[in-house]
Amino acid sequence: MTEPAIRIASMHKYYGSFHALKDINLEIAKGEKVVICGPSGSGKSTLIRCINRLEEHHSGVIEVNGTPLDDNVDNIDEIRREAGMVFQNFNLFPHMTVLENCTLAPVLARKIDRGAAEETAMRYLARVKIPEQAHKYPGELSGGQQQRVAIARALCMAPEIMLFDEPTSALDPEMISEVLDVMVGLAEEGMTMVCVTHEMGFARQVADRVIFMAEGRIIEQAPPDQFFDNPQNERTRTFLSQIVGH
Amino acid sequence: MPAHHPVIPAELPRQNVLTWLRSRYFATRRDAAVTIVFAAFVAWILWSLIGWALLDATFAPNAGEVCREDLHGGACWSVVSTRWRIVLFGLYPFEEQWRSAIACIVMVIVAVLSCLPWFWSAKRLPLLWTAGFAIFYVLMRGGFFGLAEVTEQNWGGLSLTIFIFAAVSLLGMPLAIVFALLRRSSLPWIARTMALVIDVIRSLPLLSIMFTFAIVLPFVLPEGLTGDKLYRVIVGYALFFACYQAEIIRGGMQALPAGQEEAAKALGLGYWHRIGYIILPQAFRNALPPTINQFVITFKETSLVTIIGFFDVMASGRAASGTADWNFAVVEMYVFVGLIFFVFVFSLSRYGAYLERRLGVGRR
Repeated sequence: MTEPAIRIASMHKYYGSFHALKDINLEIAKGEKVVICGPSGSGKSTLIRCINRLEEHHSGVIEVNGTPLDDNVDNIDEIRREAGMVFQNFNLFPHMTVLENCTLAPVLARKIDRGAAEETAMRYLARVKIPEQAHKYPGELSGGQQQRVAIARALCMAPEIMLFDEPTSALDPEMISEVLDVMVGLAEEGMTMVCVTHEMGFARQVADRVIFMAEGRIIEQAPPDQFFDNPQNERTRTFLSQIVGH
Repeated sequence: MPAHHPVIPAELPRQNVLTWLRSRYFATRRDAAVTIVFAAFVAWILWSLIGWALLDATFAPNAGEVCREDLHGGACWSVVSTRWRIVLFGLYPFEEQWRSAIACIVMVIVAVLSCLPWFWSAKRLPLLWTAGFAIFYVLMRGGFFGLAEVTEQNWGGLSLTIFIFAAVSLLGMPLAIVFALLRRSSLPWIARTMALVIDVIRSLPLLSIMFTFAIVLPFVLPEGLTGDKLYRVIVGYALFFACYQAEIIRGGMQALPAGQEEAAKALGLGYWHRIGYIILPQAFRNALPPTINQFVITFKETSLVTIIGFFDVMASGRAASGTADWNFAVVEMYVFVGLIFFVFVFSLSRYGAYLERRLGVGRR
């Protein structure tokens, strides 16, 4: 087997005395799409945020594309350039236009010249279907549009992995599908994706594997058909019934 | 916005001025009485003021005797038209005052230019100010290019005030940014030390800091490091300014959602890129009103340099009307100095208001 995109082994994370992540072991292959779900407070966001060091893990190993995540700042920056992230609250930079949002990091962190960066940005903005908004400010866009810009901004760094942290949770219902469509398209092109979401339709459609977490542990993981139709663990069944129940 | 609102006429039906006046100010008998009394009062004040300041006033220079014998009791602007040079240039030698005037104008031009968005870049702004200060210094100090040397002890008046203000702001602002960043350091001992330094300096009166830097420091520092008293005072004042401004900037930073820095990190931007492109621009935008406030206070408090023997515009004004010939015209001189302060501070406020609109503070 080739080197995995992400390898996590015996990883623990604490907030003070609170044991947030317990003995996480996870390998994600290149091109694999993984959906992580679980009740709130189960540690799924913390897990995904450990992968690019927005949170620090306390023991165990995290490797991204073979680069170990340790206190070496160069490694951290390298991993952050390789792993794009999309946040629940978009986190676009409000003082910059959409285009500037998309070109800032490629120009500063990848040292690409401005003209080429703008060309790339326009290509990705076209792909998320909002090239005409390039010169507007984020505050002038709807939530769905902002989230699509956020996806384009992450893609402009040409990452090999995309991390999605509840990308549709802050959206009005009618805007969810426009964001999910973009994510489905990305999955079809073979991007490695780790996605924390409660969109079970999306999970069924694109995921290679669904992971269920509770109380800081990975409780169960399986391909979507098996996960949804024949969950093994009692807690998974309870969770799924609550989600499908409404 | 949906377009199916009822059509609102572009203009309300024109209201007659008389009807408007009547409904606003003369609706009832009591309203009418109050309106008339106050209108009369305001008119009386305005009339006395105009009479004092314009109609009965003496404008011609060297007309002190006329003023004294004047029976109307109007303002004696003669004190200003005779002795304005002292206010603007202080003790600067008479024949060289054109240099001080040009230096002053250069400084104002640099200040105005740096308000234009075109100059807001990491290269242009420092270049502009370095050039401005260099020209100012060469003109004021002289000793080069056949210009007679005039030491800092003889600088004074408006040029000195502007110089101190500009130097304190320019030295203080970068220092404030550094202080704010250290104060937010993730290393606790750095953050705590900085917090302590800021708290200590803020707890001291500006006057005592100026005094310490001007008088006490030369005993402590090795010779050759002390520089002129003027520069020591500026450094002390800049330190004081930086401690206040650092807290203002820190406030602006703390108002930012944590997601901003996280998004910048997730894109692989390093610390200085995050600070320079994401955090500081937004922090300054948030902190604009208190920052303008700080500049206004700083401009006005330059007058405190009098205490260590410098003649800023305020002290020069007092000196100009302090002679036996003119000591009856103190009020006029204070009005003139007040007007100078007003012009500068009011422009600063208006510029702040323009910036707020431009940057859309409070729109988000």
